[in-house]
Amino acid sequence: MAENERLDAVAYLDRFFDELRDEVRTNPKFANRLVKAMGGKVVFEDSTKTDIANPYLLAAEGNKSEFYTVFSPLKTTQLKKILKDNNLATSVDIRGKSPSQLLDMLYDRASLKVSERKSSYF
Amino acid sequence: MTAIIAAIANLKGGVGKSTTTVMLADGLSYFYGLNVCVVDLDAQANSSQMLLTERGVQMAYEQGKGATHLLSSFIKGEPANVADFIMPNAVSLEELRIAEENDDRLGWISSLPSHPHLRLQEMGLEETWYSQAGTPTSLANKLAEHFKTGFDVLREYYDIILFDCPPHLSPLARAGLSLSDVFVMPTIADAVSTWGTKQFSDWVGANVAPDLPSRNFVLITRFRNTGYSKQIANELQEVYLKDRWFGPKIPESVHVLNAMERAAPDSYDTFRGKYGGVKGDVKRLSERFTDFLSQQRAGRKWQKMRD
Ligand SMILES: Nc1ncnc2c1ncn2[C@@H]1O[C@H](COP(=O)(O)OP(=O)(O)OP(=O)(O)O)[C@@H](O)[C@H]1O
Ligand SMILES: [Mg+2]
Repeated sequence: MAENERLDAVAYLDRFFDELRDEVRTNPKFANRLVKAMGGKVVFEDSTKTDIANPYLLAAEGNKSEFYTVFSPLKTTQLKKILKDNNLATSVDIRGKSPSQLLDMLYDRASLKVSERKSSYF
Repeated sequence: MTAIIAAIANLKGGVGKSTTTVMLADGLSYFYGLNVCVVDLDAQANSSQMLLTERGVQMAYEQGKGATHLLSSFIKGEPANVADFIMPNAVSLEELRIAEENDDRLGWISSLPSHPHLRLQEMGLEETWYSQAGTPTSLANKLAEHFKTGFDVLREYYDIILFDCPPHLSPLARAGLSLSDVFVMPTIADAVSTWGTKQFSDWVGANVAPDLPSRNFVLITRFRNTGYSKQIANELQEVYLKDRWFGPKIPESVHVLNAMERAAPDSYDTFRGKYGGVKGDVKRLSERFTDFLSQQRAGRKWQKMRD
């Protein structure tokens, strides 16, 4: 935007929301944060889930069935990626495991880490 | 076997003592097939955490294992049966686990872990000791004397015993240093750490053993390849700590951070998978360290078992 360009309020907002819309479309992590901040419940597609679903945050909420609801639709490769990306398993640990074993591993290990690391105060 | 005891120590905090301890344990057990015991003398319990995970550290404590319980033996005036306080399996490398499973143990790591409670316990002990006219030095000496028999027994079971020391001169750290044959001093290539290396090794020479600084292995850790760091590293090697053994510079790398976070108490990884981009550095570290040990203990052979 040229520095001395003058916009009316509506044009200004249009630009702002265009940018925001683009970001939400292309950046699932940001979209997830935004939705969370607004307190909404929005469903994400499978392909973006691996990027945004954070096993630690979900495990910390302490709702096991919600955890399984979010992660059980994922394919084996997606589960493996989440386990590895979050330092919850090595390639050796996940070798030959079925989706349900991977899901249990994800839940058990994320919950374990959360319970060991979360402060007991506040 | 007659283990060599190596203290990994520096008064300076955060220079990579615990990380170096774990890299040495992994490197020596993996490449040289050594039987390693890691003794954590630091209440932060970081090397214990790296080896066993947080849950593992807590479980050990609840099972009566680790440095806190060893210290209790001293407080109660019981003999220091060090072996009773050891967690026999602190291995995270898949290759070692498989060899063991096939009854062909080739390299192993055990741990005498620490626990955050250790600091409170030491403080309690210090309070009692000083109230009875004891001094920090007499406490450290008494502890060393008490643990010496226990560690002499332990020496028969291991090739190398590593003491991960805290970044301050706690009574246990002082005792550990005085039981050590050699000491490893990790440091960072910056001004404050460089001055710290002189302070610490002078202190060790004056208070532990005058020849201990000559049995010193220096390791520059978290090395960033900048002109400034290179210059400081060069000065350390050529001037300030001239004539000491230096390990390879360990780069500051996210691979190191990853390698130090064990996924779960029952998680294993291959050496390659665990160390990724820094596997060559861990290998060079173990090679250089065994060269150093050969010079310290003539006649002792260190043979590569894996590559
Ligand atoms: N080569 C490296 N690359 C990146 N990070 C590293 C490296 N070495 C150590 N670190 C990180 O630096 C921090 C300090 O390392 P470490 O705990 O090993 O130091 P320390 O000397 O044992 O600390 P303390 O004095 O608290 O006992 C840790 O967060 C560790 O993960
Ligand atoms: Mg440490």
